[in-house]
Amino acid sequence: MTPVHATFGEVAAERRIASVPLSHVSVELGHLYMEDFEAGPGRLREQFRKVAPWLATVRALWRERVPGGRARVSTCFLIDDYFSRFSTPAELVPMVLEAAAEHDLTIDYLARESACAESDGVELARLVEDRLVDDPPPDTDGSRPPVKETGWLCNGARSPRTTPVQAMGKARPWEPPVQNAKRGHSIFVDVELWDEKGSRRTWSCPFLAAVWQLLRLGLLRSEGRVPLPPVTLDGGWPRDWDALPAVVRLNPQATPFSAYTTLSVLSPRFLPVELAVRTILSQVAVDDEVLRQVATRSENEGIGLEEELVDRISYVFV
Amino acid sequence: MLAMGEVHTGLLQNSGEISESTCRQVLGLMAGETVRVSRRPIPHALSPERLTGVDCALPSASRSRIRGVGTVVSRCAVTGGRVAQGSSYVRVVRSEADRRLPWSHYLSRPGVVEVLGKAKAADLAEGFVGDPAPGCLDMGAISGRFLDLVQASPLLDRRAPFRIPRTSLRWVAETGEPSIRFTLHTEQERTLRLTHPGPFTPAVVDLCEDLATHDWLLTSLLIIVERARIGATPGAQAVARLAPAIDHLLHLWMPAARVEEWLRPFWESLERQPGFTRQWRSLVDRVRDQIATSTLALLSAATEAGRR
Repeated sequence: MTPVHATFGEVAAERRIASVPLSHVSVELGHLYMEDFEAGPGRLREQFRKVAPWLATVRALWRERVPGGRARVSTCFLIDDYFSRFSTPAELVPMVLEAAAEHDLTIDYLARESACAESDGVELARLVEDRLVDDPPPDTDGSRPPVKETGWLCNGARSPRTTPVQAMGKARPWEPPVQNAKRGHSIFVDVELWDEKGSRRTWSCPFLAAVWQLLRLGLLRSEGRVPLPPVTLDGGWPRDWDALPAVVRLNPQATPFSAYTTLSVLSPRFLPVELAVRTILSQVAVDDEVLRQVATRSENEGIGLEEELVDRISYVFV
Repeated sequence: MLAMGEVHTGLLQNSGEISESTCRQVLGLMAGETVRVSRRPIPHALSPERLTGVDCALPSASRSRIRGVGTVVSRCAVTGGRVAQGSSYVRVVRSEADRRLPWSHYLSRPGVVEVLGKAKAADLAEGFVGDPAPGCLDMGAISGRFLDLVQASPLLDRRAPFRIPRTSLRWVAETGEPSIRFTLHTEQERTLRLTHPGPFTPAVVDLCEDLATHDWLLTSLLIIVERARIGATPGAQAVARLAPAIDHLLHLWMPAARVEEWLRPFWESLERQPGFTRQWRSLVDRVRDQIATSTLALLSAATEAGRR
């Protein structure tokens, strides 16, 4: 008898990572906080008026870049229901859509900020927190666990603690913090990721914004599955934010929510937040397999994608 | 250039073996990531992988200052619900830049440490399996911490049936003409030099972890047999000392169970020289013979007593 070649497999022993459909670019048309809402619909119209030409530009740029000119551009809008709860979806969403329509903008997807913390039993923020790999200062050899200030993340080495009088009676002079990958001089950034009052943890705005970027880039998985896939809403808008799905598909013809790259059109007042977001994102280790999936997909489409994920994120501050 | 790693192996700090569901919880090191479990031919659970950032000197036999920046991959494993491991490794490659780049660059290549400046693979390999100078990349400390993480799980009762030291296996793998060199250093330290055909894949890490598991089993059984002082202590006492081995170790010997086909010849060559399984079998026979003789002695004593 000839030898029989046997193969044996066990499902629980394999890693299965779902893939996610991807547009070329996900454009965030706006981000609504309570203060914007309180400022009235005028503020929203003003935002959309500023955004409209940039969206047109992005579409044109991607049409040139994509072979055949079939650019997949999806748009999204984020509403803050995490840091403060205001109005109701039934009241707010139609107002937003109307203001967008006045400038010929179509919002394809609408998302709730609290979903970036937790939704449908998936704690996206925890998931991302576990994927943080601290940027090591020089001479980090692994012999000691990384120096951490709980709930904070920085891009270098913090200033040594200065106590007024040392044990020997000599005051220790101040020493500067140092950025790890500095070019000449340091730009040291230290970001608060969360705070806790009792057992309740509040994630910081930059941390949730980092989760939001990862979600838009299609780089998150929970137990191998794609978290928070967009949902088409049947019936009207609910009266409670919690009743609204995390990501709602508003436009049935929309290209996929997640994309190879993202563009956010924001007011310059968000500049410090976005610096913090980039500090966080440059320390998130995305799953190897997920990175490979996205890279293979883009290569097959003839699109060269930036290797580092922070380079896939761009902004227009207007 | 090369890959290197270190595996720490120890007895799980629990009175008995742990179930698959406990394993999943103990090894759940990352939210949203599954613990991979295989049941045949022996239960084996593997944690999700985590990264540690490093920027430090790499070990070098010539003691030259070679700077490496990147991430170390670590994971934990539990075999047979009984043997725990913390394992770390890196792939060392030459950097295209001569300065440290933004951290996001290194995170886009998980498990890679980039060498800034000149370095020779042989110098690094010799340095790593030799005696790495302090201040150099310390994968032993990283693996040790990962093993601690498992051992400190609140799900374990910390009442291990016997005390056995941890062992560490430091390994270096390079591409080339197949060869393997396994060296015992002190009681707990081992090194492995491996040259494999084709490029490095994580299957090489599986092989090193499998060898580490079996080397630990063999070392532990040797210690238990030694402690039993067969021949020097009364039979019943020796058997009592051998009992933990029967309860907890003897069924765990399953060489090359999780090793990919193309790497099996490496295990097989170690089976010829020094012959891990040969030594294991002889020890197991010794344990069983001791028990058989002791049982016979007890039986005949009981028969004697019955006759009287």
